[in-house]
Amino acid sequence: MNNYQLTITVDDKQVVLERILQVTRYRGFLINGINAVVNTGTNIGTIELMVYSERPIELLIDQINKLIDIKDVCVTKNIPYTPNA
Amino acid sequence: MASDQKHTGGSLLFAVLQEHGVKHVFGYPGGAIMPIYDALYDSDVEHYLCRHEQGAAFAAVGYARASDKVGVCMATSGPGATNLITGLADALADSIPIVAITGQVPTAAMGSDAFQEIDVFGLSLACTKHSFQVTDINDLAGVLHQAFAIALEGRQGPVLVDIPKDIQMAEINCSLDDLSQLPNKVKLPPVDVTQAISLLSQAKKPILYVGGGVGMANAIDELREFCDKTGMPCVSTLKGLGAISPENENYLGMLGMHGTKASNLAVQESDLLVVVGARFDDRVTGKLDEFAPNAKVIHFDIDTAEINKRRKADSAILGDLKINLPALAIPLSITEWQKQCQANKAEFAWRYDHPGENIYAPAVLKEISDTMPKNTCVTTDVGQHQMWAAQHMLFNDPSDWLTSGGMGTMGFGLPAAIGAQVSRPTDCVIAVSGDGSFMMNVQELATIKRFQLPVKILLIDNAKLGMVRQWQDLFFNGRLSETDLSDNPDFIMLANAFDIKAKEISKKSEVTAAIAEMLDHDGPYLLKIKIDAEDNVWPLVPPNTANDKMMESI
Repeated sequence: MNNYQLTITVDDKQVVLERILQVTRYRGFLINGINAVVNTGTNIGTIELMVYSERPIELLIDQINKLIDIKDVCVTKNIPYTPNA
Repeated sequence: MASDQKHTGGSLLFAVLQEHGVKHVFGYPGGAIMPIYDALYDSDVEHYLCRHEQGAAFAAVGYARASDKVGVCMATSGPGATNLITGLADALADSIPIVAITGQVPTAAMGSDAFQEIDVFGLSLACTKHSFQVTDINDLAGVLHQAFAIALEGRQGPVLVDIPKDIQMAEINCSLDDLSQLPNKVKLPPVDVTQAISLLSQAKKPILYVGGGVGMANAIDELREFCDKTGMPCVSTLKGLGAISPENENYLGMLGMHGTKASNLAVQESDLLVVVGARFDDRVTGKLDEFAPNAKVIHFDIDTAEINKRRKADSAILGDLKINLPALAIPLSITEWQKQCQANKAEFAWRYDHPGENIYAPAVLKEISDTMPKNTCVTTDVGQHQMWAAQHMLFNDPSDWLTSGGMGTMGFGLPAAIGAQVSRPTDCVIAVSGDGSFMMNVQELATIKRFQLPVKILLIDNAKLGMVRQWQDLFFNGRLSETDLSDNPDFIMLANAFDIKAKEISKKSEVTAAIAEMLDHDGPYLLKIKIDAEDNVWPLVPPNTANDKMMESI
């Protein structure tokens, strides 16, 4: 099990956060933290998503990247799993 | 510059559809989509009333798959929208470009549990490539343009546009010429084939593994040229059937769970898999860890997310197959490997010397395949008949073979045949179905009747849910749970009730004349063939088993 923090840049379009959450769950990643803000001047949102899974994070990055309103996805932290931490 | 025109939301919808070349839509009216159906009344778009929204969705899928057009379907809110969902899921799994329009309750009523209100926008997240809900009439035309662009760009797929009733009725002055399409989001890295060329040059036992992506990319010519230049033994997925020329001497047939023995043995022994528009589906690979265990992989695809998803690629080539395939089309020195594969192909060729007088479905399907007109489009449902059709029929183009691959949706075949017949009115269309699947969308016989579509239906009847029964016999100790359909209706009488000519046969001696009668008939026709309930689909790779450990009989 590995923990990751993704930073996702999005166009602030309808249900973009729901789309990311749906894909994250379906592709086998659990969420243990989220922070989302929108720059109302540019209509660009930034979502920090803390996830964990046994699966390689690249699988999730590729699937999130396919969503239409996504501008960029990157792993900003790769945290080794510590049980009961 | 074009002058503004006055539109309602409904009339604007059809104006944009026509701008995208849409001539036919499939749908079913209802309360929350009435303004759109009112606008349809004045539109040149031809509407095909199906008898269930699922039928409309599958007809749109069949329409798109049989042609290079986008399929369009429409339904009202609530149950109309939920009935579309299975068709959209099917289109997503098989990457089919569909634009689905749903009516929604008025914006003021949304979120109030109004009559026939369902959050179809929320439901759509898991079963569409993208979706929209239009809450401002000024956004409608732009959203519809985006829907078409997204359905077609990159890996194709279904897009849903949910339009509340007040938006359908709202008025707007706009010029369609001012509307621009969404720029293509798909941006892929530059292609470097150096590694792939090196792998190809070193391979002694390469296999070309072809999937549905070849047809979606319109890269049939490029693929066949690749086959000719490399001489590589080649296999196909279920959805890829038709891409490789059936006359190709190195073509070994379908691979996977019900693939040919020659295909599966060759893949398992290969030292290089050249994977083109395919995705290592579990029905293809069997036990993934033991799939082609000694092979390196060159993976061509348009979808970055398919690379390394289930099998690591030693070389990934992302992008348009029409451009990328020729870059690797080099002659290979693999004569011994070709001979070995061809010998296996001959040794394990299908046999049709089935004992007894009862009809053997594979032989019927082969005979139809040998005698049907050129450019015939075959659809299937899901089950034993589907696998027999995939094994024993040959196709010259993937658009001649419409089957629910990824989703495996029973009830697909009949409405998909309707869509195919509408998109290709002069071609012969045959729906191959089983008695279980046929009943799943049997109401579409009324659509065939209404539009006098000359669809031919081959109903392979074993009075069972045959594939489930086969698995119950093989893997569940013969405990036949809920797979008996011996109380099926009289299918001949049922077809006749819809003014469809029908015939039943049960002996081998009747087959040739019955096929000729069906194919020669001008209008719709149902031919029911009675087969033994115990007939199985062979070979079969049991679940979680390597593909070379296939079962060939009980």
